[in-house]
Amino acid sequence: MPDVLTAQELVKQFGPVTAVAGVSFSVAAGEVVGLLGPNGAGKTTTLRMLAGILTPTSGQVLVNGTNLHDQKLAAKQRIGFLSGDTQLYQRLSPREVLRYFGRLYGVSEIELNQRIEQQVQELEMASFADRPCRTLSSGQKQRANIARAFLHDPDVMILDEPTAALDIVSGQFIVDAIRRKRAAGRAVLFSTHIMSEAELLCDRILFLHAGRITDSGTLTELLARTGCTNLTDAFLMRARETSPIAA
Amino acid sequence: MRLHIIWIIFRKEITEALRDRLTLAAVIGLPLLLYPLMILGMTKVQKAHIESEDERVSQVAVWGDSPMALFTALQTTTNLNLTNWAGAGEPLQADFRAGNFQPAAEEVLKASAATNQNVLIEAAQQIVLNRSQDAVLIVWPGFNEALTTEALGKVSICYDSVRPASEKARERLAEALRGYRTEIIAQRERAHGHQPGFAAGLEIRSLNLAPPKRQVGERLGLLLPFIVILLSATGGLYASIDITAGEKDRATMQTLLCAPVHNLEIVIGKFLTVWCISLLAAMANVASIGATIARAAAGASESFFNVSPGTFLLALLLLLPATFTITAFFLALAMTARDAKDAGNFLGASLTMLLMPMMIVMLPGVDLNAWTAFVPLVNLSLLTKAIFLNEARADTIFLTLVASLLYASLALVFAARTFGREQILLGGRTSLFALLLPEKRKDATPTPSLAFTMFALVLVLGYYGSLLLTDAGIVTAVLTTQLGFFLLPVIGIAVWMKFSPVDVLSFRPPPWKGLLAAILIGATGWAAVGGLVMRLLPPPDSLVKALEKIVMLEDANASLWKLLLVIAVTPAVCEELLFRGVILSGLRRYGAWPAIIVSALLFALAHASIYRLLPTFCLGLLLGYIVVKTGSIWCSMLMHALNNGVAVTLARSKDFASQFGLEEATQVPWSITLPAIAVVVVGLLILRTYRRESAAR
Repeated sequence: MPDVLTAQELVKQFGPVTAVAGVSFSVAAGEVVGLLGPNGAGKTTTLRMLAGILTPTSGQVLVNGTNLHDQKLAAKQRIGFLSGDTQLYQRLSPREVLRYFGRLYGVSEIELNQRIEQQVQELEMASFADRPCRTLSSGQKQRANIARAFLHDPDVMILDEPTAALDIVSGQFIVDAIRRKRAAGRAVLFSTHIMSEAELLCDRILFLHAGRITDSGTLTELLARTGCTNLTDAFLMRARETSPIAA
Repeated sequence: MRLHIIWIIFRKEITEALRDRLTLAAVIGLPLLLYPLMILGMTKVQKAHIESEDERVSQVAVWGDSPMALFTALQTTTNLNLTNWAGAGEPLQADFRAGNFQPAAEEVLKASAATNQNVLIEAAQQIVLNRSQDAVLIVWPGFNEALTTEALGKVSICYDSVRPASEKARERLAEALRGYRTEIIAQRERAHGHQPGFAAGLEIRSLNLAPPKRQVGERLGLLLPFIVILLSATGGLYASIDITAGEKDRATMQTLLCAPVHNLEIVIGKFLTVWCISLLAAMANVASIGATIARAAAGASESFFNVSPGTFLLALLLLLPATFTITAFFLALAMTARDAKDAGNFLGASLTMLLMPMMIVMLPGVDLNAWTAFVPLVNLSLLTKAIFLNEARADTIFLTLVASLLYASLALVFAARTFGREQILLGGRTSLFALLLPEKRKDATPTPSLAFTMFALVLVLGYYGSLLLTDAGIVTAVLTTQLGFFLLPVIGIAVWMKFSPVDVLSFRPPPWKGLLAAILIGATGWAAVGGLVMRLLPPPDSLVKALEKIVMLEDANASLWKLLLVIAVTPAVCEELLFRGVILSGLRRYGAWPAIIVSALLFALAHASIYRLLPTFCLGLLLGYIVVKTGSIWCSMLMHALNNGVAVTLARSKDFASQFGLEEATQVPWSITLPAIAVVVVGLLILRTYRRESAAR
């Protein structure tokens, strides 16, 4: 499978602080890759650079071979981004939000109507699709948000802790959505600190610690290399090796 | 920049804004309620107060021995209730009768060191201030004798200027006393057999020649800018905070940032929304004020607010630039805020600053002129005043609108830059210095925002510079403006940003076809463009004369070489490097034609005159086209120099001009214009073929 999303030596500095210190990896079509790391590891910064929200201090991002920095709009067009802390416009309904973003992404009106209805059905949003977003529960909001991120049928999904603050039922919508995308041959990159979620979903896992990738591979590979029986232990082991403070 | 994306953003933002009941209430509800309550309520209270004052009888103590005649004169007005010696104790009366107090002017009475005089004043002060009496009338000793011997009788009115009832008592007393005095004078004139008017000697009357419309205009001209600016500002204030910092607080900004849209598109979409809301607020306020005043005026006899609908409409049109400028400033400022609270602080402070222009308008003698037309907001306030006084002139209106548009666009460019800063987006803050400095780019090419900022900077510098230099003589003024304000900034920015002279400033060897086209168009462009445009919009004589003076360097004997150097060559080099160098390159990102058109428009605006707008715009198009086609700035420099050179030569040698029938020079005859157009077309055709060659290469 061809690589859809490629990060090459990404570095991000905020003043004197280096948040990401040279990260390289790629995600292929039909692949789900998990980015695992504790708070402050640089997960969000990495994903924001990949989504074109932040400009890397150095290094580059390729989306379907297109350089994100040089052709920002064309590259962004192919990315769907969702984060756990993203909110929706409170005075608009989910349907209006979907219509707005569909138009911004240049989806034609006829196709837009079809896709909105499809998303409303798939994510079971019919009961609240026309209510103002401020009246929705956090689970409903996140479902509307998934629909928003997937609406323009992007080649790459970048999800930043999408299940944070969700209960099991609501989280399941996200898990199902990720599986559907993988089946449709889309690339998915998501970050989490919930190990079980990564074990369940990921084809490949990246350990991120202090702005660097400390190890990567399939679940079986990681367990075999570290000699651990579960992902949590494997992750802790790699973290201890790189940072004496964590020990 | 894509218009449909801006439209999509605008539509969503305005839908959301209008669903916010709080915004709606503040923008429309409040003004609709406030003014009727305020104006009608206040008029009613004031009217009731005045009526009750009029009906109330003034209580006046009369101290001293007043003759019967005085008493009768004062009693004729029914609203004075006189009481003899009220509030004056026995010892005071005795002292008074004994002649211990002397009449004196008010200031002498107050300052008098004589203790017995103070006793009298303190006694009067006491009863007036404790409101037992409204005023005290002192009839000084010797009053009766003075009347019988035809000498000067003296009285003093003691009152409290702060208390309306006391002030009213003074008015009534003074009026009654004036009547009494007229009667005495008439008696004396009759007794001596003099004609009426013998004593008065002179009658002075004033007549106000300002028509009522003008007087009303002045009042409204002072009032309206205040209302318009303040109200549209408050309308836009909440919307700008909500749409920028508010969105950061609500964590919805990130979704927009990963969408495939330019920062400037987002900023313009948001700006249009805030502008619409400001306009709505301003309209609601003006409509509410208008209706209320009309209602109030219907009851009044005086046509206080009788302004022609045309004037009113024109002033209403000023809402467009006024709200445009203020909104842009607000948006730029709100963009730099970390959160809504921060933005509230910023904008609250700047709202107070907005009061400045209003105060300046109220200063007598401050008018719209070349100087004030470029001061943001002050110019719009002064323009409103000028419109109401019927004193607005086309050229100052034009300058004001250009300046407003310029400052607003600068604010928007700043807002878009700020929007692109990630520290600010993610809730941090960056130094103002970093925001204002141009960003050095890896490819060392100017951005559209840099091009625009350069233009604005140069225009304001050049404009005020040339105003300052008017006394220094035209040669100094032209050379300083061109070299100092045009060339120097271009060189400075090019060196600092490491711009390539070839790629950015188009310093490429000119192709021979380009030179040929430049000569053809440069030599005839003036006659072709001038001939067409001056028929469309004939410039006033004053401008023609002024231009002629500049072209001749105010010196009829200046040598042609000197003229050509100062008027033709210098501007050709300096202006071309700015407009066809930095600005055109900066705009190229939007495509060749948009770049040519916008740079021509900026070139035309830089000439700061409404009558020269069209000809300079056309010239700018030709100059931009030749640089885009040939890639060489030498071509446009040559064309520009020839164009100016032809104008100089014609103005310099009248004999030469008369050969072409141009001695009157107000209009180029068709016999010149038509061939000139043909030559320009030939030049353009040559340029067209050049593109094919370069494409083939």
